[in-house]
Amino acid sequence: MSLVDFTDIRMEQRAVAGVTVPVAVVPRIKNQGYLSRILHSLKGLLEGMRLTFGYLVHPSRIVTRQYPENRETLKFPERYRANLKLVYDEKGYHLCGGCKLCEKACPNASIRVLNRKSPITGKIELDRYIWRMDSCTFCNACVLACPSSSLEMGHEFENAVYDRRLLIYNLNRYAGPQAEVMEKLDEETRKQAMEPRDAYGGPVPLAGEELPNIVPVRVDSPGNPASRPGQGSDA
Amino acid sequence: MQNAMSMILVAATGPWAAKTVAERASESLDTSLWAVAAYMVLALLAVVVLVTLLGLVLIYAERKIAGRFQCRVGPMRVGPHGLLQTVADTFKLLLKEDIIPTRADQAMHLLAPFLCMGATVLIIAVLPYSPTMQILDLNIGVLFVTAVSGFGVMGILLGGWSSNNKWSLIGAMRSGAQIISYEISATLALLVVVLFAGTMSLRGIVESQEAGWWIWRAHGVGLISFIVYLIASTAEINRTPFDIPEGESELTAGFHAEYSGLRFSFFFLSEFINMFIVSALAATLFLGGWMPFHIGGWTTFNNVMGLIPPSLWFAGKNLFVIFVIMWFRWTFPRLRVDQLMRLEWKILLPIGFANLMAASLVVLSNFYFFPGK
Ligand code: SF4
Ligand code: SF4
Repeated sequence: MSLVDFTDIRMEQRAVAGVTVPVAVVPRIKNQGYLSRILHSLKGLLEGMRLTFGYLVHPSRIVTRQYPENRETLKFPERYRANLKLVYDEKGYHLCGGCKLCEKACPNASIRVLNRKSPITGKIELDRYIWRMDSCTFCNACVLACPSSSLEMGHEFENAVYDRRLLIYNLNRYAGPQAEVMEKLDEETRKQAMEPRDAYGGPVPLAGEELPNIVPVRVDSPGNPASRPGQGSDA
Repeated sequence: MQNAMSMILVAATGPWAAKTVAERASESLDTSLWAVAAYMVLALLAVVVLVTLLGLVLIYAERKIAGRFQCRVGPMRVGPHGLLQTVADTFKLLLKEDIIPTRADQAMHLLAPFLCMGATVLIIAVLPYSPTMQILDLNIGVLFVTAVSGFGVMGILLGGWSSNNKWSLIGAMRSGAQIISYEISATLALLVVVLFAGTMSLRGIVESQEAGWWIWRAHGVGLISFIVYLIASTAEINRTPFDIPEGESELTAGFHAEYSGLRFSFFFLSEFINMFIVSALAATLFLGGWMPFHIGGWTTFNNVMGLIPPSLWFAGKNLFVIFVIMWFRWTFPRLRVDQLMRLEWKILLPIGFANLMAASLVVLSNFYFFPGK
């Protein structure tokens, strides 16, 4: 039995060394008699039993999902975190300006942002966004760090692959300026400014190689053309 | 041989009076030895089948109920709704290697699980399942049950000691201390009913509850001893919240840490059968056993209640108590060792003694609801 009564905490102002400070007063538990203590504990036990019985009789409380069967109808909680994704606006432009804050925020060094000087605008822009899924802990720090909200944690969680090199890949579909800059360019320049990028091109371990007999699982949403090879990407 | 077969058939289908299998066997001793053998085989078969079925059903039920208590669904994969999960697990256990640690005391190590199981099976033989379904009725039934269930702790102590492993030994010692302590309270609670019924025979106790069950006929005394018995016997069968002998987080598995395969499954099974025995005893002594729900004097009501067969009454009460014990397990946290001892010696024991005094007053003054015959 605890020595203090946590159910009866009061906040008070008290003068300590000439300063008035707020204090939380936690009273000691009153000395109970033998019988009242027994009854008190019995009441607590019964309360617990009532709670668990509630779980038993309400099937709606069950949280278990029968996973492979309900694959099509899976519902994800709002804050579910799986594969990292770049956010694209409705025209298909990403929002990343290549500031590398996410790279700094990542505790596992799972992100590498490679920038380049744009041949069209002459400004710094995103070239490749390399993400190491194998060392990512899905902590969300990168998403929180990004000043332009260009990252999000998606819902694709079926990540089993036969070669671990497949776990390190580019997230961006194209190398080029972010949506903000794109808005200022005319239609023709926009097209020129975008250079396609696929999941396994460039300085990732796979470096564009084809693996025999291996079809990697899908990592991006079906609408995203720049998925891994075998998914209609432009590799 | 054919004779024996036909005797089994007769025994299984023939009309039954309120007699135990042992009584039938001794009656037929004069006529044919084959009949005696048939009754023995019948009794043996019944025990084996009961133990197996109970093991399968109780383990499945426990896992399902535990799941629901914790917002899960329990086993779902093997068979529809996981119905065959326990069967699959049993096969797995049977096929596993039976390991004896090198430094273990071989003979003792092998013997321990059988002691545990033996104590359990001995009790199953004396329980009254219905007026006709009882293998043996002893005139000292309650004493026999308490004595033999104390015998099971021998198996646990032996197993823990002979494994030559400190965790096993600590677990076994804890278990010994716990079972011996709580045995007192459990026995005191049983004594109350023995006082009421005036007999120790389990059948006699059931028959004494024709006018009403002991749990409510004696102005709260029966209820208190029922609660004391339930708590004490939960501790005796080492179930949460009194599972410190196993204490997964402290002792890995306690006394059976060094057991595997078949021998482990014996310990495991005897734990579940013990749960059944405890509930069967609680049902027999406090909830009227196979006796239907009767209210003294209300003849029509009693007749309607009598339509339900006694074995169903027994099974129902039994299931209820088993469910309550499972409910305890999935609700309460484990007690510390000192709390465990305090609960027994400072709380349950005084209450048990006071209750026994009160019970003797009730018996002396014949002050029951429905004093009956
Ligand atoms: S989720 Fe965490 S570990 Fe993963 S890339 Fe982002 S910051 Fe790094
Ligand atoms: S994703 Fe965000 S934080 Fe990372 S480089 Fe791009 S803009 Fe900066």
